[in-house]
Amino acid sequence: MTVSSPAPAAATAPDAARGTAVGRGRLRLVAHQIRYEQLSFWRNPQAVIFTFLLPVLVVTVFGAVFGGDQKSDFYFGLSGMQYYTPTIAAVSVLGACYGQLAIVLSTRRQTGMLKRLRATPLPAWIYFTGLLAHCLLVGAIDIGLVIGVGTLYGVPLPAHWAGLALALVLGAASFCALGAGVASLVRSAESAPALVQFIQFPLVFISGSYFPVHADALNTIAGLLPVKPFNEALLAAFTGASGHGWRGLGVLAAWGVLGAVVAVRRFRWDPRPE
Amino acid sequence: MTAVVVEGLRKAYGSRDVLLGIDFAVTEGEIFALLGPNGAGKTTTLEILEGFRGRDEGRVEVLGMDPRSSAVAHELRERVGIVLQDTAVEPYLSVRETIARDAGYYRAPRDVDGVIELVGLREKRRAKVKDLSGGQKRRLDLALGVVGNPSLLFLDEPTTGFDPSARRSAWELVRDLRDSGTTIVLTTHYMDEVQALADSVTVIADGRIVDSGTPATLGGRDKAFARIRFELPPGTGVLDLPLPTAPPVVDGMVHLEVREPTAVLHSLTGWALERGTTLGRLTVERPSLEDVYLEITRSFETGEAAQSQQSQQSAAVRGRRRKRSRT
Repeated sequence: MTVSSPAPAAATAPDAARGTAVGRGRLRLVAHQIRYEQLSFWRNPQAVIFTFLLPVLVVTVFGAVFGGDQKSDFYFGLSGMQYYTPTIAAVSVLGACYGQLAIVLSTRRQTGMLKRLRATPLPAWIYFTGLLAHCLLVGAIDIGLVIGVGTLYGVPLPAHWAGLALALVLGAASFCALGAGVASLVRSAESAPALVQFIQFPLVFISGSYFPVHADALNTIAGLLPVKPFNEALLAAFTGASGHGWRGLGVLAAWGVLGAVVAVRRFRWDPRPE
Repeated sequence: MTAVVVEGLRKAYGSRDVLLGIDFAVTEGEIFALLGPNGAGKTTTLEILEGFRGRDEGRVEVLGMDPRSSAVAHELRERVGIVLQDTAVEPYLSVRETIARDAGYYRAPRDVDGVIELVGLREKRRAKVKDLSGGQKRRLDLALGVVGNPSLLFLDEPTTGFDPSARRSAWELVRDLRDSGTTIVLTTHYMDEVQALADSVTVIADGRIVDSGTPATLGGRDKAFARIRFELPPGTGVLDLPLPTAPPVVDGMVHLEVREPTAVLHSLTGWALERGTTLGRLTVERPSLEDVYLEITRSFETGEAAQSQQSQQSAAVRGRRRKRSRT
């Protein structure tokens, strides 16, 4: 295709001063987008309650069922809640980033919000940065709430806060990318929750989130999928165990890259594709 | 200068041809109305111009740029405002927040409160979007379309669902935008809207352009015969009228069609005054824009009805994959 007019000035100005000015503008736009994404979320009372109530409820119920101090081989030498507090924190991050993002994007596409957004000059990467920041924040609050409930059942605070933060950032980014990838593959908002659950439900079970898995074959398979490495990263951050982190984080990151590639190639803004 | 150029534009969805080679140009600073029956290809044309859809053949230039070129996509979005057919905004933000959010996306936006004033939502600026009426939401759409201070604005059926007074003020707004230099491309089903707003009109049917002109000249309206009608005064016959031939009388009303009514009216009214009588229920009419529009598109409407019935059937067979017609 031919372009008969000169490219816009902003894109061709090479001088450094202009470059930093554009950079500052971009940064301000990122902040602007994060702010309005937050505003949209916190204004919706239902969304807020369900996002934060569910993990609290689940960890409370698990505490009531599996509470108690005795350590056992079944939980790899931990107490029940020492095991479940990190894994349920991991499930809540998975839900907030992967599940919620896939559903939110499909719904916004179906209602035409994404198409309308596409008509504005907001760059796509800034839009997605706003969503990622939102998911990261929700994930951090979820982890905080689950840790809080865990302490009520006598679970010690995480041993490695930095490791926890690293796992959260990497996990949130990867699961968001996978959420965007799934949203790129579903056609309608109605089918999004079904596909999200279809993937998430078995994955969570074979990854040991709701009960420890002692089958080697299953653990090998789950270790190559994104949820188990994330569980293990959080477990390690809580217990202070070290040594077996990096390979798992690499697997998690690789899945994130895959999700991002699918999203970049297949993402649609228009509810009615050609 | 021309704001939009379309030459030989063709588009098919699968085996179904939607645009069969259309040409038109939109002059900078005018209000251009694109009309046509449902399914004629209006929305497809608009979406191609807006960059949402690709084309199969033909040349398209919007503000001198190709809407499908990713190199100019950002610049086009800066300078083109779009009001889509469906309202789609965050329900929990207030009117002011919604407009302020979008204003932040543009290089040189209009003043947010000025835009709120412009679309008449000042009383509602703190209201949440979900609490607005349909017409108010549409005005918010309009606000989002103009907040970037575009040089070209696409309006896809902008006043559907408005009450009459809201429509008048929307027209006022569109005229003001035009007068301040914005080029406007409009689709609508309301002929009074076209009459009130459009500087030029293009009618599209079955993927082709079937007529174009101004609201006054479309369909040869300016050259059409004037229709004079009046009641035959009591006690007179058609042969008493000062006319070369006896006109038809339907239900006691005389029907006359003349190219230029001045002289005929003069002799008819003179004749009535001389006799001390009146021409009851006298009207002089030219065909309305709606009349000529219906005439132009009549043959296509029937074809379209048959086609859409057919496509509904095949859609049912396919099993509800797509909800709406895309054309």
